[in-house]
Amino acid sequence: MPELRKDPIIGRWIIISTERGKRPTDFIVERSESRGGFCPLCPGNENTTPSEVLSYSSTDGHQTNKPGWELRVVPNKYPALIIEGNLNKEGDGIYDRMNGIGAHEVIIESPDHNESFTNLPPERMIKVFQAYRDRLQDLAQDPRFQYVMVFKNFGAAAGASLEHSHSQLIALPILPRMINSELEGSLSYYKYKERCIFCDIIRQEIHQNLRLIAENDLFIAIVPYAPRSPFEMWILPKRHASSYISMDNDHLKALSVIFSECMRRLNNCIPNVPYNFVLHGAPLRSQPLDHYHWHFEIMPKLTTIAGFEWGSGFYINPISPEEAAKFLKEAAI
Amino acid sequence: MKKILLVDDEDSIHLLYREELEDKGYEVHSALSGEEALIQMKIIVPDLIILDINMPGINGIDVLRQIKEINPSLPVILSSAYQDFKQDLATWASDEYIVKSSNLDELKAAVKKHLS
Repeated sequence: MPELRKDPIIGRWIIISTERGKRPTDFIVERSESRGGFCPLCPGNENTTPSEVLSYSSTDGHQTNKPGWELRVVPNKYPALIIEGNLNKEGDGIYDRMNGIGAHEVIIESPDHNESFTNLPPERMIKVFQAYRDRLQDLAQDPRFQYVMVFKNFGAAAGASLEHSHSQLIALPILPRMINSELEGSLSYYKYKERCIFCDIIRQEIHQNLRLIAENDLFIAIVPYAPRSPFEMWILPKRHASSYISMDNDHLKALSVIFSECMRRLNNCIPNVPYNFVLHGAPLRSQPLDHYHWHFEIMPKLTTIAGFEWGSGFYINPISPEEAAKFLKEAAI
Repeated sequence: MKKILLVDDEDSIHLLYREELEDKGYEVHSALSGEEALIQMKIIVPDLIILDINMPGINGIDVLRQIKEINPSLPVILSSAYQDFKQDLATWASDEYIVKSSNLDELKAAVKKHLS
């Protein structure tokens, strides 16, 4: 029988249609063909991108905007929001609007055009997470911004247009509704129980071991209780922290190890599956929050968002999180 | 005289752009598809290409990647009726991205910038 499940943080309902009994091999993933041709993200083509705002290199004396980098962060050449200008908020009757101020940056994760994020070894993946932290710290200095959304699209079905491995961030002058919902939901739980709901989830998932995928000293990876997508995974730090910005190097290292493991498990369940991942953390201007807990959400793109989902806010998931966790745990790495 | 290759599947765009650009002293050549553009660029050897995105056959972004693979320093101005294609990072290979408008001032300024 199908089952309705409620996300304990934001109260979103999802439908698990378990009788469909999907296995990883039942999901058909269309292989993205390489488009070939010139790649603006490749080394040697630095003049086709805006000037970098951050780069890492193991070469002494590496020159800015020249080959030799291991990771590069550049402003988006054709950004969704514009960095220059002052915020101008205004009302239009009952409506609110403001000018499109923000920062839109692209994190080029590897100099190798054909190297996927999933195949980055942890000692290289750590640079990606370090770059997220470094850019968040820098953008937090800008008083116009309330939030920085870090995200990755992989595969054409998940919105990636270029095969060269990259992720993006958008600094916003407002708080996204999804983050607001998590903040409100976790605060409501905290007021009632005086505990962080994410910390409680971590404790329960370790104890029950039904949806746990991987664990190390500092992080756990789970399939959430009410996942929107088949094989959705969350990665959370075990120690309570509301913001990613203050993460130390030990945490970066442990995060890379568990993230790499999860991506390889997912890829072995469903090779080349398109996915999105997002980083959720506390707003830039907030003090450390006892009720909120930063985390990554990884959502494979295996189902279609259609009329019912748009209309209801529900998601239909054809595989239970317990089954998905079992497949992920059994997958070879 | 500087040569411009104009690539667009709409005849009306060719009529409009050609008149304005020839008035500015440029030699304008036309291609009605991406496939034709890739052949024409080898024959004409243009100094600049104005390239539509949404075309039948090879779309403008894939044409752009092939053009830049052949000649990375050849200026290419993407000209589209839509902003949406800006989300495709492959458009970064272009030198400008201009949204089509009946006012060609922005296009003419971009052409001048890359041909001066």
